[in-house]
Amino acid sequence: MLNVNPSKLKRDTIKFQSEFEFNDYIIDLAWSPCGRQIAAVTVAGQVFLVDTDKSLRACEPIGNHKFGCNSVSWNPHASQFSTAGHDSKVFIWDPSARSKFLELDAGGDWVSNVAYNPCRKQLASAASRTIKIWNDDHDLIYESSNHSSSIADIGWNPDGSGLAVAAYNGITLHIPHKQRQPRKYEWKGSSLALSWSPDAKYIATGEQDSTVHFWRVKSGADAQMWGFPTKVLQLSWSMDGRWLATGGGNSVCLWDCSGKGPEGRRPKEYKAHSNKITNLAFQPDGPFLVSADLDNSLVVWEPLKHNKIVGGCLLSSPASSITWSKNGLLAVGQRNGKLSIFQIKTTL
Amino acid sequence: MSEKENRTPVSVLTGFLGSGKTTLLNRILSENHGKRIAVIENEFGEIGVDNDLVIGAEEEIFEMNNGCICCTVRGDLIRILSNLLKRKGSFDYILIETTGMADPGPVAQTFFMDDELRDALALDGVITLVDAKHVILHIDDSDEVKEQIAFADIILLNKTDLVSEGEIDRLEERLRIMNSAATIYRTKDANIDIQKILNIGGFDLDRALEVDPKFMEPEYPFEWGGLFEMKKGYYNFILNQGPDPAMNINLQKANESTDSGITKTIEKAVLAFSDDPINLESGAIIEPGDDLISIDLQQKKNEYILKIPSDGSYVLYTEHHPDEFASIFTDASENKVDPVVTREFKPDHEHDEDVTSVGINTAGDLDLEKFQKWLSDLLKNKGQDIFRMKGVLSFADSANRYVFQGVHMLFDGQEDRPWKEGERSNSLIFIGRNLDRKTLSEGFRLCLT
Repeated sequence: MLNVNPSKLKRDTIKFQSEFEFNDYIIDLAWSPCGRQIAAVTVAGQVFLVDTDKSLRACEPIGNHKFGCNSVSWNPHASQFSTAGHDSKVFIWDPSARSKFLELDAGGDWVSNVAYNPCRKQLASAASRTIKIWNDDHDLIYESSNHSSSIADIGWNPDGSGLAVAAYNGITLHIPHKQRQPRKYEWKGSSLALSWSPDAKYIATGEQDSTVHFWRVKSGADAQMWGFPTKVLQLSWSMDGRWLATGGGNSVCLWDCSGKGPEGRRPKEYKAHSNKITNLAFQPDGPFLVSADLDNSLVVWEPLKHNKIVGGCLLSSPASSITWSKNGLLAVGQRNGKLSIFQIKTTL
Repeated sequence: MSEKENRTPVSVLTGFLGSGKTTLLNRILSENHGKRIAVIENEFGEIGVDNDLVIGAEEEIFEMNNGCICCTVRGDLIRILSNLLKRKGSFDYILIETTGMADPGPVAQTFFMDDELRDALALDGVITLVDAKHVILHIDDSDEVKEQIAFADIILLNKTDLVSEGEIDRLEERLRIMNSAATIYRTKDANIDIQKILNIGGFDLDRALEVDPKFMEPEYPFEWGGLFEMKKGYYNFILNQGPDPAMNINLQKANESTDSGITKTIEKAVLAFSDDPINLESGAIIEPGDDLISIDLQQKKNEYILKIPSDGSYVLYTEHHPDEFASIFTDASENKVDPVVTREFKPDHEHDEDVTSVGINTAGDLDLEKFQKWLSDLLKNKGQDIFRMKGVLSFADSANRYVFQGVHMLFDGQEDRPWKEGERSNSLIFIGRNLDRKTLSEGFRLCLT
């Protein structure tokens, strides 16, 4: 339940657009670059592709990974997307044919992530302790197992020059085109999620021990933030790279990374949820931040203006995956298999 | 609270390689139990599966920055279990099979430390398989074996067909000293009624209460007592050099010449053994009474003379078993005299077991504040040595039983059903390394109102 009455929320901020039924926990989502399609994967391994302007009660998967699926990424340079399964495979899909056209061997049973390089024509996958990077022709150009546990998360430098890998003992930064030893950002703990600041100054990690770590990418200096009630899986940067939003409990916190950085500064705190936050997403090209919790609430903030809720609604089950498109659409995948698309508009 | 009741039970299967884990797992999976079971395996055996899900994983131990062993968790389990929880219809039961060398600590701690798993899963029990024939080869110098035994809620003493009954009895007694709270079953080919090992409820302290008498069984300061029929005069007690340089003895006059002659003098002997001993050297004279005597045993052959004041029955109590010193008893004309009856006692120093259980069982109500302070100090100072603890407590201001369990410094407790008439009492047990029974019991008693 929200701490505010949802009927008092400004409904015009968040406008329902369409809904899709996948009938299984939606574990990851990706928008097509044009913002008209979404690829979604479910925990049991099904892969869906939908046109976001038409609601569909019963969707048919276009294929599946045996045993389960973890991650989906849309190629920014070509009309294709890839998925990561528990079957040690990365699948490459052709959206126009609605079918898989290639299988890649990720080098480990449990493929946890796929991610296209935002700038260069490269695809990265993580499976167990191994990352692999393929070029545009899907030839393997880089491989490393230099990590001290199964990989928890990966993230490309926004400039495309390197791939950061989160695992036990911190971050490993691979520079695939230079084929040299990766750089380690080490500490004794287990990093679960990572997020690059859009200006690439920082890599933030959410940790198993209920802390958040800020790594300065250049100097390798780090700062650790304490006081979270739970492990931290939700990290999202404001578009200018100044603010990091974190979950890890019932409150949203915003950490100021301008100037000297977040150390010694109190975060801004946003309280509306009365259960654990499941997802958090800053609009990548706008002022809004959305957060969702275990009580099915979805809340919209304009956090740099004030700490009041600007919109919100109740979903039919807790959110499991939230992604913004570049044209102000919000895709919310839920645990019960529903995918809801909302339009978020400024109230001015 | 309702969330807690809906948690999916998890059992952890531990035991050395070859102890029968895979056999047991196959038994559980092939039995018609109507449950959907998910298995996470760290050691790959040949498992037959139909409806159930088996996931292989490499053991990944995550230590945290503060270096505290209590914060060590299993990353592989967090990753896999958190994925399992997302699956539709979920599972009725989860089994985790660890490697033979696994430390059960981080496995158990994972269910306390990770908030997501803590909310959705309940550690039902740790099941430890013990190879009755081979465990003896490892038990003294393997920390893994000791910890697997100490962490167990259930111990399956398996492969009993390969050893004699006497050997099993002795082994079982030893396991009980280490872990008095575990239920021990003897099995062949890991053949056990599944009902007895799954869904036992880690919290169900009624089970621990049932075994209470065993963990409250007194320990004695002596290992042996022998009743002799002796005439007035002198006898010789001859001992060779042995494992100890000296030992305490006490000679009591008994009024009966049967076993009850021993029974009726035990209490006096225990009292005598609580005194400071009188040190004697070879050749000295010993008389019956309440004096505790420490006899020096550093000579190759040590000879003590017993002065018997009148004909009758006498019981000699010795700190160690006299056989350890190849001792003999003779009369004045050097004829060997054998005891009429002997008894062996469970000593408080047997095997110098470093892993033991301490049970506390006492009437009265607890003061919440005092108890919290005591427990938090205790866990702060001794948490690394306390593997497990569990108990049912009676708090002065509550009508309900309070049940708890813990792993190292981590504690999980909740109120349970109301106390029944005349039932109120406190019962708790600590299993750990180098535990001091006296300090624990006294500390606990000070928390009573």
